[in-house]
Amino acid sequence: MTEQTNILEVKDFSVNYGYGEASVRAVSDVSFTLGTSRVLGVAGESGSGKSTLVYGLTRLLRAPGVISSGDVILNIPGPDGVRSFDMLAATEEEIRSVRWTNISIVLQSALSALNPLRRIGREFDEVFRTHDKSLSKDDRKARAIELLAMVGLDANRLDRFPHELSGGQRQRVMIAMALALRPELVIMDEPTTALDVVTQREIVSELYELRKQLGFAMIFITHDLSLLVELADEIMVMYAGHIVERAVATELYNAPRHPYTLGLMNSFPPLHGQREVMTGIPGSPPDLKALPTGCTFSPRCPYAMDICREKVPPQLPLDNGTRLVACWLHEPSVGAAVPVELSKKFVSNAGGAQ
Amino acid sequence: MSNVTKGDVLLEAKGLTRHFVVRGDSGLFAKKRTVRAVDDVNLSLRAGHVLAVVGESGSGKSVLARMLSRITAPTGGSLVLNGQEVDLKAPRDKAYASQVQLVLQDPFAAINPVHRIMHCIERALLLHGTTKGDVLAKAHEVLESVSLTPPQQYLDRFPHELSGGQLQRINIARGLSVNPRILLADEPISMLDVSVRLGVLNLLRELCDNRNLAMMYITHDIASARYIADETVVMYAGQIVERARDASIIDAPVHPYTQLLVNSVPDPENLESRHEATAKVGGSTGFNYEGCRFSPRCPDAMDICHSNQPPVTEVAEGHLSRCWLQATSEQRAAVSITAKPIA
Ligand SMILES: Nc1ncnc2c1ncn2[C@@H]1O[C@H](COP(=O)(O)OP(=O)(O)OP(=O)(O)O)[C@@H](O)[C@H]1O
Ligand SMILES: Nc1ncnc2c1ncn2[C@@H]1O[C@H](COP(=O)(O)OP(=O)(O)OP(=O)(O)O)[C@@H](O)[C@H]1O
Ligand code: SF4
Ligand SMILES: [Mg+2]
Ligand SMILES: [Mg+2]
Repeated sequence: MTEQTNILEVKDFSVNYGYGEASVRAVSDVSFTLGTSRVLGVAGESGSGKSTLVYGLTRLLRAPGVISSGDVILNIPGPDGVRSFDMLAATEEEIRSVRWTNISIVLQSALSALNPLRRIGREFDEVFRTHDKSLSKDDRKARAIELLAMVGLDANRLDRFPHELSGGQRQRVMIAMALALRPELVIMDEPTTALDVVTQREIVSELYELRKQLGFAMIFITHDLSLLVELADEIMVMYAGHIVERAVATELYNAPRHPYTLGLMNSFPPLHGQREVMTGIPGSPPDLKALPTGCTFSPRCPYAMDICREKVPPQLPLDNGTRLVACWLHEPSVGAAVPVELSKKFVSNAGGAQ
Repeated sequence: MSNVTKGDVLLEAKGLTRHFVVRGDSGLFAKKRTVRAVDDVNLSLRAGHVLAVVGESGSGKSVLARMLSRITAPTGGSLVLNGQEVDLKAPRDKAYASQVQLVLQDPFAAINPVHRIMHCIERALLLHGTTKGDVLAKAHEVLESVSLTPPQQYLDRFPHELSGGQLQRINIARGLSVNPRILLADEPISMLDVSVRLGVLNLLRELCDNRNLAMMYITHDIASARYIADETVVMYAGQIVERARDASIIDAPVHPYTQLLVNSVPDPENLESRHEATAKVGGSTGFNYEGCRFSPRCPDAMDICHSNQPPVTEVAEGHLSRCWLQATSEQRAAVSITAKPIA
């Protein structure tokens, strides 16, 4: 097994809600790979399909959600080399065998993820018992205490019920549980969005340390691009279920190529520099039930051309193939003059795509 | 109503305080305890100015706004509206309600879902003295002022047919329909999609400039405060701990809590120092009512911080901090007589 192994490979993955005429497509033809021990950030505003994507990948999707196409392969390292596990073809039982052990997920709302009637200690006990039968009761408790310490919580939290913990403490418990069986891939769906910035900072710093120690790969979801630039090796930006841009984190931030990425960045007032009027993005977020033809961003895009309203833009490889951008501006045959703000030169030395 | 000049003080809070008595956390016979939701807050809202109030969840921002709009009664302190002390024992009258308008966080909860938008605007207009004949023209006017055009198209719709950003504009339009002089906006953008937040923020700033409104903007997002505010106050556990004009509270914070807050914001311009900066923050979240309320969490706390309430010190013109680190020698001398010596 080399450093280059991909822990996860996703191809043409789509998810619909509902069937037939009334259905909407919440995730559209998403493809990406994630390297071992790498961090992939997923950004996008509310409703862009971030949660649907990871629920689908991990087979947690509930009706009326339907996976309508795609392949999802989890490459699990083992003593006899890497085993390719087909997430979509697997039976429920097979999925249970990899959940927590090889792939775990921290959901958007920790309160709804924890059983309100169970003490924290029992939740941990359950995870250990179902996956590692060799551990004794005392061993399991010792492991739980060790995990809590890892996320900065005292052993006495094991006796508490979820409602007796603060929002930040609950998120820490969820993170500790996700790491309990040392999975190779951890997915975090907005683990800090509901928290104060100070608590968010504490948790992000802890995650950063834990990753250095344990080396798991991570998919981290948030609408806050600035936070992703700190954490992620690469960032994927979603709009109306599509990946509109994917690049090395610092390159995406310093030299965005897609008009939506630029618009998203201009939606957050900066902490430094001259105060000046910013505009955000004109218009309203897309309605999946009434998506425009062509590029889904075209009604709000300040650079939209005729072709944008007619044909869906392909995923174009740019910058020596280190990024993908779905925008007609960058297709040479269209002959558009790419505006300066979308053609900045920037090559980071922090490698994500060597 | 008309002749206000930019900078005139329209509403003033003096020592505004609200304590709640609640039952203790645990046990049937738990002792009652007092939550000091807002404690001794002084501030002025000025025509054409935006005052931002920043603080973490539970710091007292909403209780403060509700006291200023007289929905919640203070347990101490006073309010002065247009130079006149408000009789806080009398119930809130219509004149007060139309001069001081509160815009809330969640536009979906603020607007009745079963009626068309026209109904909600019309009600506000009629309630505050617009005649039946003028209602439609006035409704068009307020919708245009929040950039919802053509207005009739929006008046005919139901709330669920609008996006969050559009609905928040309606919510603001309703607040404006009674011609208020003071607008209190409690987290007006935090429930909105990120791409439409700035649009609403720009709208608030424009209204403030064009109509000489006095505005209070409540937020937990310090970068948005920097963007919009003429003056910013930071609240911690019911008290104002730091205040400054323009962007200086973020560019040069002096209070340890403000520094912690500013350093916690994700900042791609400054990637290296981030993960070390907060390593030293303690996990304790309790408040200390004897000394400085932030002392249990403060990385710089000294002995005096735990035993004595810090005084307010002016560190630069218009820049105030409530912290022993900035206290003058006179301020220190004043307590050392009554309290334990400073270690
Ligand atoms: N059970 C459902 N039935 C129908 N549509 C759904 C369902 N769940 C989600 N959707 C739709 O799918 C789209 C994607 O939703 P999703 O929750 O994945 O977005 P998200 O990017 O995670 O947003 P957020 O930032 O708000 O969490 C949305 O338009 C949403 O309305
Ligand atoms: N009716 C009430 N009874 C008892 N305590 C209350 C009441 N209303 C508010 N509090 C308490 O007063 C404190 C301040 O609450 P407030 O709602 O003003 O906080 P906030 O700064 O607006 O927080 P957030 O950012 O979460 O909106 C909190 O500790 C809260 O629990
Ligand atoms: S007074 Fe002391 S405890 Fe309070 S903030 Fe200042 S240094 Fe910290
Ligand atoms: Mg989500
Ligand atoms: Mg509040």
